Amino acid sequence: MAESRAAVVATGRRLLRRGRGVKPPSGWRRNFLGFLAILGPGMIAASAGNDAGGIATFAAVGAEHGYRLLWILLPITISLGLVQEMCARMGAVTGKGLADLIRERFGVRWTAVVMLALLIANAGVTVSEFVGIAAAAELFGIPRFISVPLSALGIWWLVVKSSYQRVERVFLLMSLVFLGYIISAFLARPDWNAVALGLVKPSFSLDYAYLFTLVAVVGTTISPYMQVYVQSSVVEKGVTPEDYGRTKWDVWVGTVLAILVVFFIVISTAATLHTHGLHIESASDAARALRPLAGPYAEKLFAIGLFGASMLAAGVLPLATAYSISEALGFEKGVSRSFREAPIFLGIFTFLIAVGAAIAVIPGLPLIRVLLVTQVINGLLLPIILFAILKLVNTRELMGAYVNGLIYNIGAWLTAIVVTCLSLLFILVTLFPGLARR
Amino acid sequence: MLYLSQMLGRPIRDLEGERVATVKDVIVRLGDDDHPPVTGLVARFGRRNFFLSRWRVTELNEHGVRLNSDKLNLRPFVRRDGEVLLARDVLDKQLIDVDGKRVVRVNDVQLIETANDWRVTGADVSFQGLWRRLAPAGFMGTRTPVEVLDWADVGYLATDAATVQLKSSSGKLARLHPVEIARLAEALSYHHGSEVVESLDDETAAETLEEMPSERQVQILGDMDEERAADILEWMSPDEAADVLGDLPEDKAEELLGLMEDEEQADVAELLPYADDTAGGLMTTEFVTLPHELTVGEALARLREMAETPNMIYYLYVVEREGSWKLSGVIALRSLILADPSVPLNEVMRTKFQLAHPDEPAREVAQRIAEYNLLALPVMDETGDILGIITVDDAMEILLPKDWRQRLPRLFS
Repeated sequence: MAESRAAVVATGRRLLRRGRGVKPPSGWRRNFLGFLAILGPGMIAASAGNDAGGIATFAAVGAEHGYRLLWILLPITISLGLVQEMCARMGAVTGKGLADLIRERFGVRWTAVVMLALLIANAGVTVSEFVGIAAAAELFGIPRFISVPLSALGIWWLVVKSSYQRVERVFLLMSLVFLGYIISAFLARPDWNAVALGLVKPSFSLDYAYLFTLVAVVGTTISPYMQVYVQSSVVEKGVTPEDYGRTKWDVWVGTVLAILVVFFIVISTAATLHTHGLHIESASDAARALRPLAGPYAEKLFAIGLFGASMLAAGVLPLATAYSISEALGFEKGVSRSFREAPIFLGIFTFLIAVGAAIAVIPGLPLIRVLLVTQVINGLLLPIILFAILKLVNTRELMGAYVNGLIYNIGAWLTAIVVTCLSLLFILVTLFPGLARR
Repeated sequence: MLYLSQMLGRPIRDLEGERVATVKDVIVRLGDDDHPPVTGLVARFGRRNFFLSRWRVTELNEHGVRLNSDKLNLRPFVRRDGEVLLARDVLDKQLIDVDGKRVVRVNDVQLIETANDWRVTGADVSFQGLWRRLAPAGFMGTRTPVEVLDWADVGYLATDAATVQLKSSSGKLARLHPVEIARLAEALSYHHGSEVVESLDDETAAETLEEMPSERQVQILGDMDEERAADILEWMSPDEAADVLGDLPEDKAEELLGLMEDEEQADVAELLPYADDTAGGLMTTEFVTLPHELTVGEALARLREMAETPNMIYYLYVVEREGSWKLSGVIALRSLILADPSVPLNEVMRTKFQLAHPDEPAREVAQRIAEYNLLALPVMDETGDILGIITVDDAMEILLPKDWRQRLPRLFS
């Protein structure tokens, strides 16, 4: 008996050494599955930037400024990657969300400031999502006072009473329509020399419209909620410093892919609208850029994509905001709670949806303009979040050996400072229009 | 009664009423006391922190602190073992409320003056606690009663100060069911979750780990001291332990297996050859066999005498003779109790029963268990030897949709 037991143990050890199991999932499959499982946070967060506000902003960039603003995509890719990576790293090293860390390190007052900024920025983005829904529905001939309240109720019900995750995939699939811009950009036969020139030759102007677009571009790409989002999904996935390498890749790949889509949106709108001196005033103008690909169906195609992307974000965003704020301030949270148990959490969620829907339903609202303004608000509030992130990620007590390196810090601080200056400049030009004229 | 937030930043005055420093922090010694005593203050003067023993303090209230001498002893502050700084280590941090079975964040700390000292009596987790710190002084509108958590119910403090873990915390946490401990540990960050599990005794830690997702099991046991991890693995059921070892890096798994006691080591090693998604990978080796010549009475007596009864005794497996593994029948505990004690087992046992082959896909076996409403299913090899059993809870884990098993609604797919 003793002998056979020893044999069993020996076999067990041998098996452990070889990787366990008679029929183990073969090495590549396991690795691949592992990669897929962990692949995600960065990808999803970065592509979530391409929502209603993002599409509107970049379509406007192409239509108004042609290829002139393309150069900003290179620095913004690096900045977005840096910022996203810092948050993902904080998530992996500390196992805590951004809101948690802010509360624990900065105390109540700063938490209140940051959370207020986040609330305002996210309320703005939520408005933009409902505006996106209104615009998409109008392309199908459905008036907004029907589409918006219905979607608002639908989203609220799905999240609180049912399972939002099930429909989430449908919306995600619908938003893939925007990949059509890539094909459309090629079919529109852009002047590639001009594209290349625009990509490398920086331009700058104190012109109000120019600054407005610039701030909107920054606000929609490096939006505050994405940082919160990427960090909490890294935490949720249980990524630890040991397997952080893959997440880092995921973040950078996601960033590059997202900006690539943006790049083609700008090209296709520049080639189809700017060259003909057309502006973007409504969603159907933005849809025009899909014509080289879809011809007469461009509007419908665009509407489907816009609806999917807006519905997706209109559900996730208020929810993520409610989670962050409840987390930071220590309120009960969770969609399975009742109003009596988690009044603040459900209150914030409901409030955001209600405000978003209420503003979007205002008759005669210039939809595209509103979309851009919400992105500008994002851009103006971004510095607050950026400085908080930078301060946290450089706290050795928290991050140990995982604090930023020197070069990394230079890049990140540069991003924060440039974004801040841009915001201040924009505010100055808005308050004193005379500045721009000189 | 006093709140921590009302003291921080307030002046420290000497005997003459001269302002000599400000309150930077309050030092508390955590021990076996339910309500830990204040041992001193951290005073800030200039840009330095100084230690102020509580014996030098005569008065402590929302207006500040008054010393019992006119001299300020400038002894630089150094943290001693077992000491906690309320503002630095407790305020704004999370803790486990054992009574409410939840994780909460500390908005303020409540102190009460007793006969001759100040004690920490509670953690304010209410909105008013937050407001008290946010609003400018004197802006505290109504004095509505606030929700204060009794410090005696604090099971675990999620703080980074390494030396200050509550001594009595594991005892308090152990009052909870392992499922609840697991859920609370998962609500914390993974560092603190691991700390919670480590603070438990081996048996509770094993039971708690069994309730956690396998990635967490691997992460927690992988980071733990090897001896301790092996001790906990011994307490886990062999199939869970084998799963964890299979998921750990090879060197680590081998080392932990080597550190386990012979008996448990062999039980686990026996299960290692089977792949995760087969019946063999799902089964456990903890079950009861009885030779068929026993009578019902003798069988019951033997069950009672067993030193370590497996969890699963609702089915008893009848084998050909003592020491053999050749399965000839199954008896439900219910029929054993109801049967005449003098009849031999082979008259009560059922010879027709569902069984599984070790290489059968785990999902199919699990479905069969659900279909036939079984509590367990024996796994047999070609020669008719019983290798192990698959219990209904392991089967359910496969069958239930992933969302059901998750505690929180997943925000991000």
